[in-house]
Amino acid sequence: MKSHHRLGGSRVGHNILIAILCVIWLIPIVWLVCMSFSASDSMYVASFFPKEWSISHYVRLFQPDTVNQFPRWFMNTFKIAIFNCIIQTCFVLMVAYATSFGKFKARKPLMNVAVMLNLFPGVLTMIAVYFLLREFGLTNSHFGLLLVYSASSGLGYLICKGFFDTVPRALCEAARIDGCNEARIFTRIVIPTSRPIIVYTIINAFLAPWMDFVFAKMILNAGISSQYTVAVGLYAMLEKSLINSYFTIFCCGGILVSVPIAILFFIMQKFYVEGVTAGSVKG
Amino acid sequence: MSKITSAIGGFFGSIGRFFADFGKAFAKGDIFVKLSLIWWGAGFIARKQIVKGIILTVLEVGIILFSIFFAPQYVSKFGTLGTVKFEQVLDQTTWQLVPNDYDHSFLILLFSLFCFVVWLVAFIITIRCVVNAYKLQLRAQSGKHVNTFLDDCKDYLDSKFHVTLLTLPIIGIVLFTVIPILLLIFVAFTNYDQWHMPPGELFTWVGFQNFKSLFTSGGLTVSFSYAFGRILGWTLVWAFFATFSTYFGGILMSLLLNSKKTVVPKLWRLLLVITIAVPQFVSLLLVRYFFADNGIVNTLCARVGLTALLRGWGLINTTYIPFLTAPIWAHVTIILINIWIGVPYQMLIATGILMNLPSDQLESARIDGANKFQVFRYITMPYMFQVTAPTLVTDFVKNINNFNVIFLLTDGMYFTTNQMLANSQAKETDLLITWLFNLTQNYYNYKMAAVIGIVVFIICAVFTLIAFNFLISGDKEGVYN
Repeated sequence: MKSHHRLGGSRVGHNILIAILCVIWLIPIVWLVCMSFSASDSMYVASFFPKEWSISHYVRLFQPDTVNQFPRWFMNTFKIAIFNCIIQTCFVLMVAYATSFGKFKARKPLMNVAVMLNLFPGVLTMIAVYFLLREFGLTNSHFGLLLVYSASSGLGYLICKGFFDTVPRALCEAARIDGCNEARIFTRIVIPTSRPIIVYTIINAFLAPWMDFVFAKMILNAGISSQYTVAVGLYAMLEKSLINSYFTIFCCGGILVSVPIAILFFIMQKFYVEGVTAGSVKG
Repeated sequence: MSKITSAIGGFFGSIGRFFADFGKAFAKGDIFVKLSLIWWGAGFIARKQIVKGIILTVLEVGIILFSIFFAPQYVSKFGTLGTVKFEQVLDQTTWQLVPNDYDHSFLILLFSLFCFVVWLVAFIITIRCVVNAYKLQLRAQSGKHVNTFLDDCKDYLDSKFHVTLLTLPIIGIVLFTVIPILLLIFVAFTNYDQWHMPPGELFTWVGFQNFKSLFTSGGLTVSFSYAFGRILGWTLVWAFFATFSTYFGGILMSLLLNSKKTVVPKLWRLLLVITIAVPQFVSLLLVRYFFADNGIVNTLCARVGLTALLRGWGLINTTYIPFLTAPIWAHVTIILINIWIGVPYQMLIATGILMNLPSDQLESARIDGANKFQVFRYITMPYMFQVTAPTLVTDFVKNINNFNVIFLLTDGMYFTTNQMLANSQAKETDLLITWLFNLTQNYYNYKMAAVIGIVVFIICAVFTLIAFNFLISGDKEGVYN
């Protein structure tokens, strides 16, 4: 009886510890919510919870002015995200299928080159890509930004390949005996059996433009507010001269953009683990 | 090291085979095969593959026209990167100032590089044409069926399906990754900076001078070597702490949540994961104002007397706690914030892996009387490490290049007081990657940025190669196939 009691005590302590950790982890997020509903404009508040609550900042967020064009930014990002989603998903699936199922001599060398190219930091290649786009007049355009996100997305094939490697080869052999060519095996057998990884790839590709900050900032550098993506636009609100009147609006925008992303992220969550462990198999 | 050597050996071996095939084909082939060397379509048209022959001929003519009318104006100036400076001259007919026929160093570099890539591709096609023409000749001589154009098309959906799949992605990668990387490597050997900006000015080759000014002190104007040493040091310290703190934090958090004692583990996990579901540019920017000099944390610290206490101990000499504005303080805060942002992610991964932990081992250890710590130390950790070692390596490399965390937390927030660093446009909290970003975006110092970029790549590559060869053995790919 005594030992049972002790166990109960440690059980409570254990759960309190977890609760404390969760509170620590959530403080900034709760503050974000508080600030967005605060009646005061200033970010320099004296207390954690606002004295008065209001939704006036959300109203202001949807009344575009010279700085804040949130609805426009949202549509820009959405547009880029849709196109990127299509191109990137196709590229990743194509490369993953070819490297996983293909039996050609250049397969290993190509994969080694890909590993090496992946070691070059993205920001670094971006600087040179920026030169290229500038020469062709594609900076400060959404098409240029789309190219940046999608053109070399084939390099991110490893996670998907890791999944394809686990698709039973007997299935494909059977199809081949039935007279299917490679293209049919790819579209009729491998793709339908790989639904989880395709969902993962699609969501990942869709999220990239929403999560990205640095590439968008580099390409959309002319300061034309109506062209911005959500990330660049919200960042611009925090300039020294603007922050005092726009910080709370930034919080509102941050929350509105986080909600859809968070939902997609939770859907994708379970694939994350599979993805990371499978993707670590370097060829 | 065997894996590296075999990889390198394999690479050169395949190049060797490539040329050996060509040599054999050219020596043994008939006149049409030999003709393929200068007329790509010859061998194919001779064996009645008319459409293929025509396509290749048109392609060849295109490349020849490209080489005659486009390439020379740039490639001929590649050695000097241009000699005629931009000037406004008076047009004799209209009496207006117009630009002269000046050289644009950057375009010369870019298009020369583009020509080299095109020629390399043309060279490979030539050789493949000869080899394939020879194969066709053999097939025709032995009376086997020679593919019609339609057969070829079908092949591209079947036995050569990988070519169909890979063509577009590889073109994308070449244009948007390979050419930019080559361009950057070339820029590292020029003096392309704010005083040599095309089209107004020319830039030219300077050999290894930029590398010298990065690695050796004694430059007269700016002390890049000093800044480089400082920043490299912090980059490695950061990558080490950022990787291992979140790694172990994630494992501990996962063990805590998955313990049998936890009530509603799914809810706790959901709450923790909210942190990573919010995009980084929102959460990090928010946290940086959270910890600002006059932000909410400082207000609260002042109210409970913590600020006064720290000042009493001599740890700070300001009326606020400089969480993100003083060296050391900023370094520690950044690593702590990174724990906040990174642990839930690692927790997710660790949870997934620990679920597959062989439970019989745990049972037998428990029967043998191992305590919790011993189980963790001798069973959980080795298993975790074995599965996640590759991710640990890639995480380390990712952290060396962790642009987001550093940039979003310190840009416009942290200002250095160290004159030596300021001279090189660096600050104490910069990583190599944010430093080079800053050099290009605000100071147009492309030459030094390119050099730093190459150094970053070398560090990452060497580290990855060593780690993969010593830590990880075996190739899991074959297991499934």
